[in-house]
Amino acid sequence: MGCSSSLPDRDPKQLGRANLENSGGGHDAKNLRVKLVLLGDSGVGKSCIVLRFVRGQFDPTSKVTVGASFLSQTIALQDSTTVKFEIWDTAGQERYASLAPLYYRGAAVAVVVYDITSPESFNKAQYWVKELQKHGSSDIVMALVGNKADLNEQRKVPVQDGIDYAEKNGMFFIETSAKTADNINELFECHAISDVVSVLGHSLPCYQKTSP
Amino acid sequence: MPSDTSSSTSDHDFDQNPQSIEEQLASVALTLSDGEPSANQETNGVVRELVNQNTQIAPEEQVQCNSVAAEEIGEVRESSNHGVVWGRTISELEMDGPSSPSSSGYAGERGSSSASSESITDDVVEQHEIEQVRNDDTIDGISDSYTPWLPGKRHEDEDDASISWRKRKKHFFVLSNSGKPIYSRYGDEHKLAGFSATLQAIISFVENGGDRVKLLRAGKHQVVFLVKGPIYLVCISCTEEPYESLKGQLELIYGQMLVILTKSVNRCFEKNPKFDMTPLLGGTDIVFSSLIHSFSWNPATFLHAYTCLPLAYATRQAAGAILQDVADSGVLFAILMSRHKVVSLVGAQKASLHPDDMLLLANFVMMSESFSPVCLPRYNPFAFLYAYIHYFDADTYLMLLTTSSDAFYHLKDCRIRIEMVLLKSNVLSEVQRSLLDGGMHIEDLLVNPLTRSGSSPHLGQHRPPTDSSDLLNQPYFGIGGPTGLWHFIYRSIYLDQYVSSEFSAPINTPRQQKRLYRAYQKLFASMHDKGVGPHKTQFRRDESYVILCWVTQDFELYAAFDPLADKASAIKTCNRVCQWVKDVENEIFLLGSSPFSW
Ligand SMILES: Nc1nc2c(ncn2[C@@H]2O[C@H](COP(=O)(O)OP(=O)(O)OP(=O)(O)O)[C@@H](O)[C@H]2O)c(=O)[nH]1
Ligand SMILES: [Mg+2]
Repeated sequence: MGCSSSLPDRDPKQLGRANLENSGGGHDAKNLRVKLVLLGDSGVGKSCIVLRFVRGQFDPTSKVTVGASFLSQTIALQDSTTVKFEIWDTAGQERYASLAPLYYRGAAVAVVVYDITSPESFNKAQYWVKELQKHGSSDIVMALVGNKADLNEQRKVPVQDGIDYAEKNGMFFIETSAKTADNINELFECHAISDVVSVLGHSLPCYQKTSP
Repeated sequence: MPSDTSSSTSDHDFDQNPQSIEEQLASVALTLSDGEPSANQETNGVVRELVNQNTQIAPEEQVQCNSVAAEEIGEVRESSNHGVVWGRTISELEMDGPSSPSSSGYAGERGSSSASSESITDDVVEQHEIEQVRNDDTIDGISDSYTPWLPGKRHEDEDDASISWRKRKKHFFVLSNSGKPIYSRYGDEHKLAGFSATLQAIISFVENGGDRVKLLRAGKHQVVFLVKGPIYLVCISCTEEPYESLKGQLELIYGQMLVILTKSVNRCFEKNPKFDMTPLLGGTDIVFSSLIHSFSWNPATFLHAYTCLPLAYATRQAAGAILQDVADSGVLFAILMSRHKVVSLVGAQKASLHPDDMLLLANFVMMSESFSPVCLPRYNPFAFLYAYIHYFDADTYLMLLTTSSDAFYHLKDCRIRIEMVLLKSNVLSEVQRSLLDGGMHIEDLLVNPLTRSGSSPHLGQHRPPTDSSDLLNQPYFGIGGPTGLWHFIYRSIYLDQYVSSEFSAPINTPRQQKRLYRAYQKLFASMHDKGVGPHKTQFRRDESYVILCWVTQDFELYAAFDPLADKASAIKTCNRVCQWVKDVENEIFLLGSSPFSW
């Protein structure tokens, strides 16, 4: 499954203007900066997703995140534009919940992750979506991610539930596996982000490696 | 009873068949250590009374919530006519009275209050020397194998009904005053609810009587309690570590909890006495297990001092200067560390960082670049600070602490500035080199004792060029002969720092190191035993080594020698070690203009 095409009907020109900065300071459209935050219950695989994206690795003994960790990854577009992702990988532990605004404030993209084998984590994802709708910036782009797609036999959250919820809330939807790397690049390179980037007149290639 | 010697020897009779912790717990000998040593008699009375009550009352609650323990308590009650005598071990007033030869292994003698001298002589030691005791029983239950330590919780499937769980040498528990489990070193907290309730019943029973239970002895087991408001901490151990050491470890565990949650967690208990704290500590097993692991390898856990990575003075100065720069721009503390050693650290005006806080902080953070709330319990136990952490490489990391929750980008900029300076002045590569070279090698002292008095000596200056030198390949008695120095720790009281020599043969396995640290720890506890007054020197010999301990106003020295070492030459060597430390203090300590006032 690739990026869901359930694109919300919003005007891309409204998107993320305040959140996108150019590293040069002026409107140097060659180097874009995208602030992205990952939210979701502890153990759903946020850190693994980021690690897979940034270093191409998977750490099965991944440690619980404390507070939030900050990573960045730059990708080059076909037209030699570079996009630098500044990623806040937040801690899913309950004790850090009240700190989330620290990290999602000013983010252009929020990626809300759940674990397809855990209905509780799907509930928690919905909690985060509501929190972002209430307290996040109004033009934040949200993506809903069902991770651990490799554990399909243990699936407890039907794909359709994810798609439906995402559609209802104007979010992008994708299922990923940090373990097998399935759809990880797609998550970062597909519509959600290209939408943001297109504000400045660029489009990200959606490689569609696995999407039909 | 003026002396506890006679009765504490009978302590061991009590321990006829060491069994499970619970059985032991049931056959407790209570020790109340709040009373002054002079009040022995009175205290004993209290204890006796208490124990008697305890045998009769066995709170109903307890019976309900832990049938095993309750049953066993019942059993003991009944079996008291088979020779379990409650009053018997009562007089064992640990640590508040002078330590008795049978329990601590050496008899204390009050050290003189004379000003510290720059060197010890045979005479001085003779004068203050503590009875040399051959103690065959000093090796406490160190059963850890040689397998490398891995972080995380082990034996999670165990509970208090498992034999394996009962056999563990050292348990740590944290529970709430309503008996809800919060943390257990082994086993799943939730499965230990019954056991927790038992502990809670014991503590609150004693507390209700106006006393605080601090130590129970049950045969080989010591049970140490620490009450921190609504949070109870308990250690059950048969490692023969002194009470003070175990209590210190519980204090650190509590401190680690505060690092994560602050003391304001107490409010949750005020609102709801049955509050379940475990979700708030979710995912922190690894933090606690690594702290507990450090009790056996990191002397900072009992010395309450930190250690520096050995570096050329100029290198450390360069690091300190840029950290100071940053501290002036609104950073509360800037700390550059490599593993558990400090490269440099700087605090904003008047802010002082306690060594224990550094230990707990370093134990808590482990992320490439992160920004997290942390509490420094000795700085302010009620408030969160924000810690910006950045790893320059796998070993070396920077911690910038601030009070402002949205300082991330500012701190990141600070870090970039710091990194540039560190790279330009080669600090990071020097740090890597020091990690490889190590600090003070015993061989250096013994290879070239005479050149050491030369001017401006440097660490490792006299070391043989390669580690494969003949000297190092010789059997250990080749190093310094049978009077050889094996290891030392020097703690500067004024600086709150210590330096530990590198381990070398024959102490070269983690297990031997742990054993040596335990021996130091025991000495440390006895040297700091308030009841006995500060000792000046102790010379202690057992079948594993001779340990010489020397305390002055300025420093403490703990040195381990070959068990056959001759006292006079050991003393000579200690003097040389102190001179050596002085010679290289620029490189092994963080000196100078630090604004810390302890
Ligand atoms: N099978 C499978 N396991 C995964 C996948 N992603 C992560 N995991 C496992 O899930 C566990 C938790 O992953 P993390 O990335 O640390 O979880 P997190 O969301 O960052 O958790 P917090 O930091 O506590 O918020 C780890 O043991 C991973 O090995 C995946 O795609 N498939
Ligand atoms: Mg994580």
